[in-house]
Amino acid sequence: MKLMSTLTPAKDRRVVALAKRLHLSKAVVNVILALVAVFWLVPTISLLVISLRPEALFGQSGWWKVFTAPSQLTWGNYATIFSQGFTSGGVLDSLVTSLEITIPVTILVALISSLAAYSLVFGSWRGRDMIFLVIVGLMVVPLQVALIPVVQLYREMGNLFGLNPYGTIPGVIIFHVAFGLPFGIFLMRNFLTGIPKDLLEAGRIEGAGEWKIFYRIVLPLALPAIASLAIFQFIWVWNDLLVALVFLGGNVHTPLTIFLYDQTRSLAANYWIVSTGAVVSIFVPLIVFFSFQRYFVRGVLAGAVK
Amino acid sequence: MSSVTLRELTKRYDGNDALSLDSVSLDVAHGEFICLVGPSGCGKTTALRMIAGLESVTSGEIEIGDRVVNDLSPRDRDIALVFQSYALYPHMTVFDNMSFGLKLRKVPKDEIKTAVTDAARILDLERYLDRKPAQLSGGQRQRVALGRAIVRNPAVFLMDEPLSNLDAKLRVQTRAEIARLHYRLGATMIYVTHDQVEAMTMADRIAVINMGKLEQVGTPRELYDRPANQFVAGFIGSPSMNFVPMQVESVDDGLRVVSAGGDMDIILDDVDSSAIRRAGVSEVVMGVRPEHIDHLPRNDRGLQLRASVDVIEFLGNDEHVHLNSGDHELVAIVDARTPLTIGDSLTLSASSEAIHLFHPETGVALK
Repeated sequence: MKLMSTLTPAKDRRVVALAKRLHLSKAVVNVILALVAVFWLVPTISLLVISLRPEALFGQSGWWKVFTAPSQLTWGNYATIFSQGFTSGGVLDSLVTSLEITIPVTILVALISSLAAYSLVFGSWRGRDMIFLVIVGLMVVPLQVALIPVVQLYREMGNLFGLNPYGTIPGVIIFHVAFGLPFGIFLMRNFLTGIPKDLLEAGRIEGAGEWKIFYRIVLPLALPAIASLAIFQFIWVWNDLLVALVFLGGNVHTPLTIFLYDQTRSLAANYWIVSTGAVVSIFVPLIVFFSFQRYFVRGVLAGAVK
Repeated sequence: MSSVTLRELTKRYDGNDALSLDSVSLDVAHGEFICLVGPSGCGKTTALRMIAGLESVTSGEIEIGDRVVNDLSPRDRDIALVFQSYALYPHMTVFDNMSFGLKLRKVPKDEIKTAVTDAARILDLERYLDRKPAQLSGGQRQRVALGRAIVRNPAVFLMDEPLSNLDAKLRVQTRAEIARLHYRLGATMIYVTHDQVEAMTMADRIAVINMGKLEQVGTPRELYDRPANQFVAGFIGSPSMNFVPMQVESVDDGLRVVSAGGDMDIILDDVDSSAIRRAGVSEVVMGVRPEHIDHLPRNDRGLQLRASVDVIEFLGNDEHVHLNSGDHELVAIVDARTPLTIGDSLTLSASSEAIHLFHPETGVALK
């Protein structure tokens, strides 16, 4: 305020004009953002509407007709695809299979990454930085290159131990965990380096062992990082088609991605099933996202030191 | 008994040639408040961390009570450490921060509650038990860190510069609080600081450490009155002691000590003369504290110097006067009512007892 009053009238006017211009551009930015949001949402909304219109109307008129004729809306498609219940090949069976794969992968990646990062950051063994560099290097390996070697490896395991994970859900889980870890460790390590060492030493003096320090001090402080890692990991695995196709292609139980893929492949593509199934498949990641986002707390470390 | 004994404690960090701590031996009696002081990087914190068990021992022994604890983990040493950074757990409330150690030791819940409430009352934290550290001021966090140590009732309290993050006023306040706490608990405390004022005001005894070596251990008064060497003499006291290299000359009735330009000279008594003779030096470093320089000509023995006033720092009750005497600069503390102006020529003196003489090479005190 003081500064303003010392300005000459001419300058004052210019400041006001600038503020106005900024104000204006702020509104413009908001409009643009809203447009972008709508643009991005259109496919999703159309998918939702298609899934709520009768199958017969699909070929006759566009989905936007629903705005003039809301009576078109029906739960019929959902009733149909859920009517199969949990029998294999149905959408609910695929939903369960997707969860059976995604949940263990997410938990394992979060847990192993945190433990590995803890050791990389707070351990005192030689070569920690070297190992970390190697792990970061592994992030550039695309998973396609490993598909065939891993299938062979699984077969060898079957020959040696009579336990071939190929074609089983644990086989897919192992693959996803292995490819999720480099990024997971990278993310967790970078977060844990921000935790002051004093906190661990304080715990050590007060009588906490390594395990207690990990889950009573480090883990609670790392929750924001773990939450973001879990969301990423969940969505990647949830949306995976390639790995599931290679390892579970001929299986009776397949995840949602394969279910949807199969529907588009069939001779007369069942668009009403595809759209309804796709809406079902969106819901789970949304639930995960909204339930984990409360862990994105800024300044978790505030008050620790100084 | 919770005495602490260090025997030739030595630390060498990996890939470092120099010793961070060089055969430090120290006895801390039960219930004693001892300060480790020294300039930053002198090894005092290293020594404290070794006692705590956070650093390995290269050689030597640490004894707490009657146990050698070299190979014991920190939690088995029965010690508490107050960190310079406080190291509070940010995700826990004040109550949980203070009770964490007790919970780990499976202390019954009602005992934990009693211990924490007691400590909170002593430290005036009762109203804040449900808060998180982020919601506390610096001084309150500091008290939580102290409380976390108190509730465990350890044999030895270790403190690593606990006041250095506080502002000046709060520092003085907390200093008194820690002194009170020591009196009340009667516990053994080892306190690390680089601030000699903190050490002088709180400690029963002070251990001065420099470049990994223990320079002197003694009560604050001993260190002030009889510093063992030039380093301790310069480190203890503020403003620090004036040092002037001087020549020893033989005259008919004994020894005379004069500065290069002849602006300063000391008339020695017999004891001091024989001490210099025994050391067999022709040069000495004379040390005199600013507060011991009098604005009077010498009577009988001691130091007399002629100097001109260079800078006057007014401090209220007294003034720090920077003097030029020949090529040497000295500081003297004089009464603020003394009428002085810059450029004044003065004749000043210091009594025989106030003069310290140090060996020119080793820095060891000769008297």
